[in-house]
Amino acid sequence: MSATLNSDVTRKIATLARLKLTDEEVVRYSSQMSQVLGYIEQLKEVQVTGVEPMVQALPGCTHTRPDEAHPVERDAEGHLPTTKHAPSVLHDSFKVHGIL
Amino acid sequence: MRHLSIQELHQDYNNGVTTPSQVVEGYLGSIRKSHHNAYISVLEKRVREQAIRADLELKKTGKVPSDRLPLFGVPMAYKDLLTVKGERTTAASKMLENYIPPYTATCIARLEEAGALGLGKVNLDEFAMGGSNENSAFGPVDHPTHAGFTPGGSSGGSATAVGADLCHASLGSDTGGSIRLPAHFCGIVGFKPSYGRISRHGVIAFASSLDQVGPMTKSVYDAALLTEVMAGEDIKDSAMIAGQSPKFTQDLFKQGIDLRGVRVGVPKEYWGDGLDPDMSRVLRERLKQIKEAGATLVEVSLPHTKYSVSVYYLVAVSEASSNLSRMDGMRFGVRPAQADMASSLEEQYQISRSLFGSEVKRRILLGTFALSSGYYDAYYKRACQVRRLIAQDFDSVFTKCDVLVGAISATPAFKRTEKEQDPLKLYLNDILTIPANLAGLPALSLPVGTIRSEKLPIGLHVIAPRERDESLLQFAQSLETLFQNASQLGRK
Repeated sequence: MSATLNSDVTRKIATLARLKLTDEEVVRYSSQMSQVLGYIEQLKEVQVTGVEPMVQALPGCTHTRPDEAHPVERDAEGHLPTTKHAPSVLHDSFKVHGIL
Repeated sequence: MRHLSIQELHQDYNNGVTTPSQVVEGYLGSIRKSHHNAYISVLEKRVREQAIRADLELKKTGKVPSDRLPLFGVPMAYKDLLTVKGERTTAASKMLENYIPPYTATCIARLEEAGALGLGKVNLDEFAMGGSNENSAFGPVDHPTHAGFTPGGSSGGSATAVGADLCHASLGSDTGGSIRLPAHFCGIVGFKPSYGRISRHGVIAFASSLDQVGPMTKSVYDAALLTEVMAGEDIKDSAMIAGQSPKFTQDLFKQGIDLRGVRVGVPKEYWGDGLDPDMSRVLRERLKQIKEAGATLVEVSLPHTKYSVSVYYLVAVSEASSNLSRMDGMRFGVRPAQADMASSLEEQYQISRSLFGSEVKRRILLGTFALSSGYYDAYYKRACQVRRLIAQDFDSVFTKCDVLVGAISATPAFKRTEKEQDPLKLYLNDILTIPANLAGLPALSLPVGTIRSEKLPIGLHVIAPRERDESLLQFAQSLETLFQNASQLGRK
């Protein structure tokens, strides 16, 4: 485990997390996360060889939904419930910045 | 007019002392006058309509239809992490400041189908991340009885709303202690059921392997009744306890306070030297009363408790970084005007996500780090391995005892901003609540008195084996009666 995060690592992580940080935030978060990771170092002292990781308290997904389409109705103004409150909509679709 | 239990409220309805509309108007008036900042949205129009329908029902039948509507005319507050169709649901975040969900959370739908009235949506730490309710984009919540103190978090609004009589009962959610810590700080009952007991459909996800909804009330009976109504399978939550949910209230009053033969585990890690001495003294007095009532105290140890915060701050943040990736300003929520002038989709995401508060960003960063290539085995995987050891500690002690009792946290409520500058210090406040989430166990905070001249409330932590919610509630109710009787005798 690495106990410290330098500014370059924090910037890289922020890019992966789609967060834009100011220089001041990079310094602050690097320091605070290093402190937390320093504390987490204690996990190194635990003998975990052969221990099956526990990802949740129940044995996985207990049931699944049938793969069925459910009709959605437009409201009086013609909006679909899924897109009605979206920030930007075009032809019943979510409008985002072009990727090409 | 305030009622300590749903039964009292129903008696007053039956005796014609009051009506659902009168009770609702009383609460709406109190909410308007309150300076606690407990509510983010008051659903005045909606709740008045619900109350009028209840008035008509009561007029028609002359008595509360409690068989059909067990929560008839009970005014409730919902943590603003839970959706109500057509009503703003913010998660106390600027990201969702204008979010109007197209569906209602299953837990709320079930409460209202059973007759509950929804007064409004209450404040919390943004996306339920925090322990003092100081991380809300809508401002901090004040303690119900001690101005300037935190009510705890993240369900701080839910706790203050009950403690300050701004609703009859409320819903919170508990990922690492977010129901129990504020219940302890505010002197109310806070119950986190077993993982998978209550559907999370309509609960804005924080850490899906840990999140659980639960009631915050003035009595154990109310907590049991609300849980009974909400519990049970829901096709819309893929991780739920299978089968019929027990009738939690059925045996509550039959048992009385007979604690003879109950093996009460006292884990040394929950009674350590780090506890506030005044709080420790009162908790030990309660322990003595439990023993005098016939229970057998069993000293036990949960040796991996000390690792719980480390495990939690890897598991919870990793899941949060994934869950919150959907908050991108594209399909719902707020997209700042500058985002439409971004030069790329990536930048558009980044501008929208700049609306997250500081604590949320910190946790997303930490989670992204823990899951990133090269660090996954050392952090996330190891945390999940230690999580199993924490769960196995409980399996082992529950062969020797039926329930566990201890402290909820090391201190009573503290003044706001005392711990704000030091995230790690605030995280450590959760060391005794997190293990029950990691292992998926039911756990409850029971108010057991106040400490010091300032009369700060404190709670006793009760934890039971997985899926033994019923046993936990029965035991907690026995303790509630035992301590109430003792305090009444003491006053004579």
